Amino acid sequence: MSYPEKDSKIPFVDLRDGARGIMVWAPLDGDKISEAAFELIGEANRQKSKLDEDSQKIIAVLIGKEVDKHAQELIHYGADIVYVIEDDRLEEYLTLPFVTSLIDVINEAKPEIALFAASTLGRDLAPRIAAKMNCGLSADCTEFDIGYYANRKRNQRFKKAFKMIRPSFGESKLATIIGPFNYPQMATARPGVFRKLDKDSSRTGEVIKFQPKWQEGDFAVELIETVRSSDSLDLTKADIIVAGGFGLGKEGFDMLNELVAAIRANGQNVELGASRAAVDAGFVEYKHQIGQTGKTVRPAIYIAVAISGAVQHIAGMKESAKIIAINHDPSANIFLSSDFGIVNDYQEVLPELIKQVKAGYKFDLD
Amino acid sequence: MSENYPKLDLNIFVTIKQVPKAMKTGADGLMDRSGKSMMNPHCTHALEEALSLRDRVGGQITVVSMGPPNAQKSLNEALRKGADRAYLLSDRKLAGSDTWATAEALATLIKFILKENNETLDVLYGGLQTVDGDTAQVPAQIASRLKMSQVTYVESVKVLDDKHLEVRRIIEGGYQRLKVPYPTTLSVTETANVPRGPSLTASMSAVDKEVIIYNIDQIGLPEKYAGLAGSPTVVSRVKNVVIDRGPVQLFNEGDTAKLVSDMLTAVNTKEENN
Ligand SMILES: Cc1cc2nc3c(=O)[nH]c(=O)nc-3n(C[C@H](O)[C@H](O)[C@H](O)COP(=O)(O)OP(=O)(O)OC[C@H]3O[C@@H](n4cnc5c(N)ncnc54)[C@H](O)[C@@H]3O)c2cc1C
Ligand SMILES: Nc1ncnc2c1ncn2[C@@H]1O[C@H](COP(=O)(O)O)[C@@H](O)[C@H]1O
Repeated sequence: MSYPEKDSKIPFVDLRDGARGIMVWAPLDGDKISEAAFELIGEANRQKSKLDEDSQKIIAVLIGKEVDKHAQELIHYGADIVYVIEDDRLEEYLTLPFVTSLIDVINEAKPEIALFAASTLGRDLAPRIAAKMNCGLSADCTEFDIGYYANRKRNQRFKKAFKMIRPSFGESKLATIIGPFNYPQMATARPGVFRKLDKDSSRTGEVIKFQPKWQEGDFAVELIETVRSSDSLDLTKADIIVAGGFGLGKEGFDMLNELVAAIRANGQNVELGASRAAVDAGFVEYKHQIGQTGKTVRPAIYIAVAISGAVQHIAGMKESAKIIAINHDPSANIFLSSDFGIVNDYQEVLPELIKQVKAGYKFDLD
Repeated sequence: MSENYPKLDLNIFVTIKQVPKAMKTGADGLMDRSGKSMMNPHCTHALEEALSLRDRVGGQITVVSMGPPNAQKSLNEALRKGADRAYLLSDRKLAGSDTWATAEALATLIKFILKENNETLDVLYGGLQTVDGDTAQVPAQIASRLKMSQVTYVESVKVLDDKHLEVRRIIEGGYQRLKVPYPTTLSVTETANVPRGPSLTASMSAVDKEVIIYNIDQIGLPEKYAGLAGSPTVVSRVKNVVIDRGPVQLFNEGDTAKLVSDMLTAVNTKEENN
């Protein structure tokens, strides 16, 4: 391995103080392990070969009520060690007891890197842990690397620093964040970005039951209820999705449903989708929501009507083969992620679209 | 004030950040803050939640910010909307702060104000995230330093009784409702409310109010915890994003019928091999 000549006067340092391995928090989505956990374990496996040999282990942390049964699955997807914390009060996520649990595991297992999904839970949990442990934390990463890093100001060089790469400046730039000064080096990573490994049921690993020391006040916040949409609609199987946003209002959705019916009458497989703002406003049911906290879809045709194109929405539909946007605001972000667009009022465009579909227009699906 | 609500006289704080209107990088790769600026959008929703809570149960609202001297603009805007006091922590030594250092500075400022005035805090509101930092980390990190509970991604807040709020937060696939005792930190999403404009009465009384500005020495923040020196992370590199989807094909020639049929034709046209 050779390093840049210009840095040769800067001394190499290793500040890990015994920290080894990559830790991944494995959250649950209701009664199954969240996909994001498998994705991060997959990425941790791809990165680990760049670490020192004694650091090439993946530590998963599983917290909840009767969650022991999921431990083997984490191992089959690439974890080497699974810490299991069980408590009947932890059936659903609660910030403070989860913070205490993870801090206690980190102090015990001493990982060099700690990864969290950048979900509404991971983005709640990770900053609090980082604050308590005086570590850096890089948010919403989409790429990782491990390698050489020189810091002139501090006069320190690192052979194997963790490079956390994240979109910034409204998604227009990618910034590389580094913090090999305190351990673990922490990051949250966007769900849906990294690939999980293929399941290997013959993989073996170690399961460790762990009891955290609860702190005073950990259970002061009480959960009243958790509401998740019941999945009676499978948006992921539709060839065409017609999605509506807040700009439609209740009446607009009537028109949109008419478009869906017209496409369906032509024998095409179509479903209605929506933005969270439209769901929140009560225009449509939750099961139609597409995006970070709704469904992720990749149909052949995605038609976004009166949707502004917030990142959380885009996250759920950007893999669609062809994206059509209808919005009266030419500066709406949705146009940056679309292939075809009409800048006009939906009240103008939809009736015409319905008319042409009724006259026999069919979308090509390949 | 509705009769259903207890009179609580809450001590409410709101963290407000001033952000650039247009996001640009300067020659040094850091955020260019020389252009026009505004109150961070999520912070306007945090302030609205604070105002609406005070409307219901009574109390006092203090807005705090860390930033360059011109961040007074956003704090003044908050005063005109009805905030009671405003504080700005401004010091060159704070430049280059990451979220750890930002939270350290704001928590030190808040503790200092509470101590000076012999007060305790009931609710701290923050925005879910900023458009420039965009980490959604700072409120949770302040809550940790002030040893309070936190709820992030807050969509609605109800007053349950004299000791608890009921808070609804976004989760994947739905939402959670939580019973939260004071004191607590809540970070507010854009879907939570529609912020009010400046009010005439608030604007009138805002005339007599001044933003109090401190530097790090005045609040007792050690230099080694401030700015770049206190930040456990650094930005080592910035590069442009390559968008893999080609530019959008817009249809704007002719009447609506033609627009739609032109577009539908294009959608069904096979791409040429290139
Ligand atoms: C943690 C978190 C998770 C989230 N998860 C999701 C998610 O899963 N899915 C999701 O969608 N959002 C999600 N959001 C919300 C997201 O940030 C946006 O608030 C939301 O997507 C906006 O929805 P919208 O585009 O329908 O509404 P708006 O942003 O209000 O946009 C409405 C659009 O309609 C256009 N319009 C108005 N009238 C007309 C007209 N007559 N004709 C044509 N166009 C018109 C406007 O120009 C505007 O662009 C999440 C937010 C958070 C914080
Ligand atoms: N410099 C700052 N001054 C005041 N509040 C801030 C500052 N930075 C962040 N915040 C608060 O933290 C929230 C989330 O910001 P961020 O973690 O940067 O995405 C913001 O909406 C503010 O309420």
